[in-house]
Amino acid sequence: MKNAFYMASRYMRRHKGKTAILIASIAMIVFLPLGLQTVVDQTTSELEARARSTPLLVGRKGSPLELALSSLYFAAKPVEPLAMADVDRIRDTGFALPIPLHVRYRAREQPIVGTSLEYFDFRALRVADGRQMATLGECVVGASAAEALEVGPGDAVTSSPTDVFNLAGAYPLKMRVVGVLARSHSPDDDAVFVDMKTAWVIEGIGHGHDDVSKPEMAGQLLKRDGNKITASAQVREYQEITAKQAESFHFHGDPATFPVTAVLAVPNDAKSQALLRGRYLGKDERDQIIEPVAVMDELVTTVVKVRSYVTAAVVLLGISTLLMMTLVFALSIRLRRREMETMTKIGCSRGTIASLLGCEIGVVLAAGVAIAIGLTTAAHAWGPALLREVLL
Amino acid sequence: MRALALVTLFAMGGVVVGCGGEDPGATSRTRDPNAPLEVLVVNYPLQYFAERIGAEHVRVAFPAPPDRDPAFWSPEPEAIAGFQQADVILLNGAGYAKWAERATLPRSRLVVTTAAVKDDYIQIEGGITHSHGPGAEHSHEGTAFTTWLDPKIAIVQADAVRSALARAQPSKRAAFAANFDMLKQDLLAIDGDLERITTPHGKTCLVGSHPVYQYFARRYGLNLKSVHWEPDKAPDDTQWKELEELLRTHAAKLMIWEGTPNPATVEALKKRGIGSVPFDPCGNVPSEGDYLSVMRFNVTALEDALSN
Amino acid sequence: MIRIEDLVFAYPHGPFRLSIPDVTIEDGEKVAFIGPSGSGKTTLLHLLAGIEVPGSGTVTTAGCEVSSMSDAERRDFRVQHVGLVFQVFELLSYLDMLDNILLPYRINSSLALTPEVVDRAKALAERVGMADKLGRYVDRLSQGERQRVAICRALLPQPRVLMADEPTGNLDPANKDRVLEMLVQQADEAGATLVTVTHEHDVLGRFDRTIDFATFHETVGAAP
Repeated sequence: MKNAFYMASRYMRRHKGKTAILIASIAMIVFLPLGLQTVVDQTTSELEARARSTPLLVGRKGSPLELALSSLYFAAKPVEPLAMADVDRIRDTGFALPIPLHVRYRAREQPIVGTSLEYFDFRALRVADGRQMATLGECVVGASAAEALEVGPGDAVTSSPTDVFNLAGAYPLKMRVVGVLARSHSPDDDAVFVDMKTAWVIEGIGHGHDDVSKPEMAGQLLKRDGNKITASAQVREYQEITAKQAESFHFHGDPATFPVTAVLAVPNDAKSQALLRGRYLGKDERDQIIEPVAVMDELVTTVVKVRSYVTAAVVLLGISTLLMMTLVFALSIRLRRREMETMTKIGCSRGTIASLLGCEIGVVLAAGVAIAIGLTTAAHAWGPALLREVLL
Repeated sequence: MRALALVTLFAMGGVVVGCGGEDPGATSRTRDPNAPLEVLVVNYPLQYFAERIGAEHVRVAFPAPPDRDPAFWSPEPEAIAGFQQADVILLNGAGYAKWAERATLPRSRLVVTTAAVKDDYIQIEGGITHSHGPGAEHSHEGTAFTTWLDPKIAIVQADAVRSALARAQPSKRAAFAANFDMLKQDLLAIDGDLERITTPHGKTCLVGSHPVYQYFARRYGLNLKSVHWEPDKAPDDTQWKELEELLRTHAAKLMIWEGTPNPATVEALKKRGIGSVPFDPCGNVPSEGDYLSVMRFNVTALEDALSN
Repeated sequence: MIRIEDLVFAYPHGPFRLSIPDVTIEDGEKVAFIGPSGSGKTTLLHLLAGIEVPGSGTVTTAGCEVSSMSDAERRDFRVQHVGLVFQVFELLSYLDMLDNILLPYRINSSLALTPEVVDRAKALAERVGMADKLGRYVDRLSQGERQRVAICRALLPQPRVLMADEPTGNLDPANKDRVLEMLVQQADEAGATLVTVTHEHDVLGRFDRTIDFATFHETVGAAP
């Protein structure tokens, strides 16, 4: 057998191109259905797990799917915001713990998620390195976000200045990274978490600037009418909240009107959940309350359906590829008939010839399958993230 | 269709290699339902209320150092991270301890004890309205924050403390309610005393050493204006000028001090026909006694001063 | 000793028929069979090597009666005792020169591939002047070189009989001489019997004896 392998390996080495194509074909026809299955199964189970672990979401009326995608997976497409008063509305019912979410900005590709501390308890997120955010302008980043942004505690993250809703441009705020979360294998790994208040600073609702009432600022004042000061746009707004400037940061308007893109509601029990849902059934209701698991089920059903069509197509493709490969082997054996005749004349049995050819086919198949398994393993590790990216 | 897009992606052999899968480290906030509640407060009155109402069922932390005014003190972010685990965080509201507005604290466990009376906050005069850039006009006006010096508001705050504790530990609801009732009686008694001794003096002009008596003055209809003097420091020329300016329109006969005033200042005031009386707002932990004893002392001192 | 007695052979389909009453070749003899194309020269070699078996009669090669052996016995006999050299060399293009020489040891387990065998293969290559080309693929070798490799392959198992089927048929005159020379010389050195079939009269001078297929005239049928 050692000699058969040797001969097979010499043959394959001499016909590298052909062997590589054969191995690649085998790898692909094995990997495609297998990898697809793995990735789709894993992704859907992740999607479902995330949805299952999120009992209720409240948002402005609109697409329930978009609300779920934005709030659970921090999808880039923003949803119309609610106000902070809507968070208190849930709290005041006493049925659920409301956790506000503000998903609107990005730091490069990573979503900036404004939320309250309860989110971390709810999602069981733990700070692995550094500490929890404590004040305006601080952020904690998910494990993947830390890698993508190449930051750790002590570094800074700057929010991207673009925002589809606000053409005047959002506040590009430099935030201090104070902690990196332990990996949770969920979309939280990709996020940059900030306090709601910091999100509002990015939004321009809260800001800090030089004190315009100070005499040295007179050059930048347009008008002073008693206690009413109109300052020029040159008044420097801080791009970063340092401890020194923190005191100067302030919010304009009624905090109850400040935006929240969604509220994650954690009901006390099943009865509270039903009662809370009932509160959003009114005809004039501006908001919607959704059960993410139901919404995601729809998406998952679609994905699974598409997957089964694709799998069927891939299997058919695989069968035809296998037939072609059989033909390739048959032709190759025909081409090598003289070689086999010579070996027979010298003293080689049919069995030995069969084992020589078998070795070749075996090695090609084994290599193809091994590559397919490798690819599937890779798909298992990376596919769901990729699929999420495509889906969301 | 997105699903098709992803399928195409894989059909093209989108090959990625990597690793993943370490154990997801996670701890959730869990507490022993019978352990005392960890309560964080921003001033001494709230500490006192929480301790009176919560008794043995609470452990109150008041992090501001004794030599600092807790209204303006601001903890380091590292310290704030430590406060985040508290079961109940009691804020005063009305702009007291502004650090809490900028800090990341668990919203669901945060209680602004004056929320119920927020429409009655007293605005501080002289706030400046301004606008700049594309933003709307706004002002940096402040509100007076020594709310508890109005015992009626103090009772509202104590009630907010009671309800916060009851929400955090429903099994002790009855005990909290009973304790609150006793505290309420004490506060009502002080209110009654203050009302009794101040009623004859509605027209009397008073001056506060510092603008901290707004709620107190409003409660009892006192004609009180303030300067910016420190009890332990002799006032400088500007501060004297400030007082003389005030006296022109406001013939005060008595200055109410946050702390025991400097004897020399007392003497100098006496020469101008102005008496002095300490009335400790008790924002920070008193050197002796507790909130109630300090308030009772205030009442006695004020009664003496007014009757002279 | 090689001996053919009353041999009759026919392919199952077709009219070809070979009939040889009696031929004897002594050990160490160098014999050339000569005859026109289609006269059955290759078939005769196949019968002597046990690749084919006669319809009747006996074939004894190197003292063994191959005509009565089983398939497996004949294969083992062949690989151990018969060295075959073909007209078109029949080397394996995906093996280098050394592996081609070692081929018999890789395709039949009755021969054990030991380091000693490899050394012998190298020595053979040395003897035919090709020690520097051991690692080359055979399609990078000239025609003459390829036939030398084929001869090395035939000689490696130290056969008692070396059989060559038109070994110079594809070579130019210069190479023809060299290869023939080498064949004879190597057979001499190995003490092997050399049986060659050819249709080229000009090479016959190098053999001890020539057996003309014409002597089987009355008994040899022509291939179609």
